[in-house]
Amino acid sequence: MPRGLWTTTVGSFPKPPNLEKARNQRARGEISADALEKLEREETVKLIRRQEEMGLDILVDGELYRGDMTTYFAELMPGFAISNPVRSYGNRYYRKPIAVGPIRRKEPLTVSWWKFAQEQTSKPIKGMLTGPYTMMDWSFNEHYPSREAMAMDLAEAINEEALALQEAGAKFIQIDEPAVSVRPEELSLAVRALGRATEGLKAKTITHICYGDFDVIYPALLDLPVDMIDLEMANSRYDLLDRFRANPFTKEIGYGVLDVHSHRVESKDEVKAGILRGLEVLKPEQMYVDPDCGLKTRTVDEAFAKLQVMVDAVREVREEKGITA
Amino acid sequence: MQIETTLAGSYPKLPTQPGDANLRVVRNRRDQGKATDQDVAEAILATTRRILAMQERAGVDIPVDGAAAWDDAQTYVARSLGGFQIAGLIRYLDTNTYYRQPEIVGAVSWERPITVEDFRAAQSMSERPVKALLPGPFSLYRFSKDRHYKSPADALRAIGAALAREAQALEKAGARWIHFEEPWIGRVRAEEASLVRAALEPLLAERTARTVIHVPFATPGAVFDAIRDLKWSAIGLDLVESSAAWEILPRVPKERIVALGLIDARNTRLEDPAEVARAVARARSARPDLDFQLSTSASLEYLPADKAELKVSRLVEAARIASRNGG
Repeated sequence: MPRGLWTTTVGSFPKPPNLEKARNQRARGEISADALEKLEREETVKLIRRQEEMGLDILVDGELYRGDMTTYFAELMPGFAISNPVRSYGNRYYRKPIAVGPIRRKEPLTVSWWKFAQEQTSKPIKGMLTGPYTMMDWSFNEHYPSREAMAMDLAEAINEEALALQEAGAKFIQIDEPAVSVRPEELSLAVRALGRATEGLKAKTITHICYGDFDVIYPALLDLPVDMIDLEMANSRYDLLDRFRANPFTKEIGYGVLDVHSHRVESKDEVKAGILRGLEVLKPEQMYVDPDCGLKTRTVDEAFAKLQVMVDAVREVREEKGITA
Repeated sequence: MQIETTLAGSYPKLPTQPGDANLRVVRNRRDQGKATDQDVAEAILATTRRILAMQERAGVDIPVDGAAAWDDAQTYVARSLGGFQIAGLIRYLDTNTYYRQPEIVGAVSWERPITVEDFRAAQSMSERPVKALLPGPFSLYRFSKDRHYKSPADALRAIGAALAREAQALEKAGARWIHFEEPWIGRVRAEEASLVRAALEPLLAERTARTVIHVPFATPGAVFDAIRDLKWSAIGLDLVESSAAWEILPRVPKERIVALGLIDARNTRLEDPAEVARAVARARSARPDLDFQLSTSASLEYLPADKAELKVSRLVEAARIASRNGG
């Protein structure tokens, strides 16, 4: 009997309203850092419990203690300053990292959170990092002479963190590179930087990429030196599968079946149909089913409603096709 | 010869001085039911006034209103054109900013003025000619999902015609400069040149205002020959991201203007004005028969407000040096 169609998520979960409120209070100096962290830990435990109850196979800590996916790391790394707010859309702003000196890893960035999360469950928790190319591309640069020099210093620092996660026991390490898809001419730099970041890893390595021009970067994308590439499939109506027919997808795939930018909760039938279309081109043992991207932009209710549909759809496809986890 | 200064696209909304109107805060308060739409409208006006006053203090010759009411570079206009609806957030090229994707679900049409009142308000706050801002038709199409037209050429002609009506309304309101933001023109292959032309031709044909086709992030080299004879007044080049944009200079027709995007709108590192002035001199020496403006490479909204303001000062200083050294 074939195995496969393991279920997971891309990394981030929405912060519950009480945690959002506490983060705002902390920003205004109304509560202590310890008080905020206590709440973050409580909510992380609840989130892990909820993922277990849903029957997800590979869990995440949900990143409830992180803000932006680059700024979180930059705040902990010498060589970075943080800018005043920059707009990302409408009334949403974030503080963007600025490289102002040589970037390095002085201390563990995520290891204690990973250990805490893993202690809560017997299921594997993914180690979650932002990749060197994306950290470079999504930061201002006042120090390095070239984008390559900055990306490769970041790769060195991220490799140290990835090895520390592996040492702590992480079996899955995901190094997200969403920026890879928007500058096809720099794909070879991204490949080199991710190669350095994953050097020496025996854990299963994953990278997540989304919302780009896959006409240009596929199949070159398969050069990324990881075991699994996680892709948004639902958002592009599974049209990537046509490319996989022409050029087979040779790695494991994180197969996104939920549109994270839509409030609408998908029907079980449409998610099943998406998975079945994937099975026409991919082997079940290649496929890890998940949302298109991090769920942090959804409400808590939307996120779990969508995930429940995904888990139910996978269960039915497994039964119909005789696939085990 | 004087080098005129201008900015490209939108401008950061946040104040740099405590106590100034903060549009972000007012919008948040409105979302929480603690402020009204009128409060937001007043904050937009106060923000526009501040952005224009900053440019006036710095000495910018052709200021922009900053697009304080816009959520992104597409939807403020697209949502008010017939035939469009607005869908989910997606990433805006490689900028790590987002926009809501317009979807074309019917025949595109211009139904009423969209940006005219904003322009009137801004122009009333400045003695200088405020440059109106519109999305370029080709980029608006490429940023949209087309669920209606059978061919891109049909869609592009319709979008070009609709934006021409908006441009006409701006002209009637007194606009002397209109900026069309066209990042996609720098990203297309030569095979698409006829489509770019189909989009721009109806838009530019009857303009009385001076028009800028601004191409941030890349060079329009692949399609420039197809649009060089159209009736645009100025081409805006991003000479920071794309050194290949220098190769456009020899191909620019006589009596046109080139807006030299030499101030990096995507990095906080501040330019040396003398170095920027040397780049202006290089352009003038390559094409002494053209007029030049000094501009930002793209919208300054990719920067935090404090750095954007410093960039504007550097831009004006660089233009002064360039003008002193022979214009």
